[in-house]
Parts: sequence; C-alpha cells; structure tokens
Amino acid sequence: MSCEETVERLLRLHFRDGRTRVNGDALLLMAELLKVFVREAAARAARQAQAEDLEKVDIEHVEKVLPQLLLDF
Amino acid sequence: MAAARPRLSAGREISGGRAMEAAGGEQRELLIQRLRAAVHYTTGCLCQDVAEDKGVLFSKQTVAAISEITFRQCENFARDLEMFARHAKRSTITSEDVKLLARRSNSLLKYITQKSDELASSNMEQKEKKKKKSSAAKGRKTEENETPVTESEDSNMA
Repeated sequence: MSCEETVERLLRLHFRDGRTRVNGDALLLMAELLKVFVREAAARAARQAQAEDLEKVDIEHVEKVLPQLLLDF
Repeated sequence: MAAARPRLSAGREISGGRAMEAAGGEQRELLIQRLRAAVHYTTGCLCQDVAEDKGVLFSKQTVAAISEITFRQCENFARDLEMFARHAKRSTITSEDVKLLARRSNSLLKYITQKSDELASSNMEQKEKKKKKSSAAKGRKTEENETPVTESEDSNMA
C-alpha cells in the first residue's frame, strides 16, 4: 500500500458516513500531520528521559509527556 | 470500535446470513491489523530518526506505545475531519479541514499551512503545464480539421 492509500484507509476506518471522501491534498497533509505527531511524541519522550539523566527512553517517559501531547493536537 | 460493529452487522443482516456478517467483521479485523502494522513500521522508522538526532535509545515497548497512541488518535482525527467537512456542507475532506484540525498549536498550524501552500502551488504548476500541452494539441488539431472539408473522406484523424 502506498502512503496515501494507507492514510486514506486509516481515516476511512472511522468515518460514520459512507459518502465521506478525502481529497489528494488533504491525504498528503494528513500524512505530514501524523509524521509530526509521531516525531513529537518521540522527541518529547526523549527529552523527558534526558531530563532524568537517562539514555534509554521507556514507557514512563511517554506516559509523562502524553497529556500535553494530546492537548497540543 | 464498539460503535462501529453494530452498524456493520446491521448492514450485513439485511443481505442475509450470519456467515456474511462474520466474514465482513473478519475482513475489517484483517484491515485493522494491516493498518496497525503499517503504522508500527513507520513509527519505528521515525523513532529511529529521532533516536539518532538526540543520541538516545527507544525501548521496543516505547515504540509500540507511540504506534498504538498514533493509531488510536487517527480515530479522533477522522471523526473531526468528517465533522468539519459536513459542517461546510461537503462530503469530501479538503486541506482546509486538515488545517482546522491543526489549530491547537500555533507552530503546528504554521507548519501545516506552509505544506498546504506548497501543495497548492505545485498543483498550479501542473495545471499550467497541462494547459500549455492541451492548447498546443488543440492548435494542431484545428489545422487538421480545416483541410478535410476540401479533401475526400479518406483522411484519417488519429
């Protein structure tokens, strides 16, 4: 599956109306948005681990940054 | 997810048979698994980039957690986008809807708007190219059109 097709199927999985479609530009933008989301989650968790003087990022670090991440998105 | 299932089975029962309902549900489950795997793979790649950038290591569970969070967040995104489009009385989600989705963080909104403008300008460029091609083609065709009037019906127009 191509990137666009994956994003389209990901979204269509949750649509309530069978007629809802996504145009090409919106798909590309959503792919970007999702990439930013993952990078932010990873970067924030990494920063949290580093603030605790650790080199290994573990689940607790993700848990600590998750609330603000979700508020920012 | 729970909300989606009854809707699916209601549709299947009309066409008849529990077998079809089960098959439909199975297909959906398979699709979900494939999509989860795709998200996990990409999450892994992106985490690898961040790991190199920051000089850290991500545990497997961390990558799995981020991947799952992203997958679940897609549900919120999808529902919001659908609502935005419907609010604008459209059935097709556009970049305007995605921009609205990114409204909560200024830097995110700026980034998405920038990408959207880049896409729009590259679309314009493609349209310009197409126009030039088709008007050149039309120019050639009108010349061919004028001569057959005086010629016989043997002329072939490819």
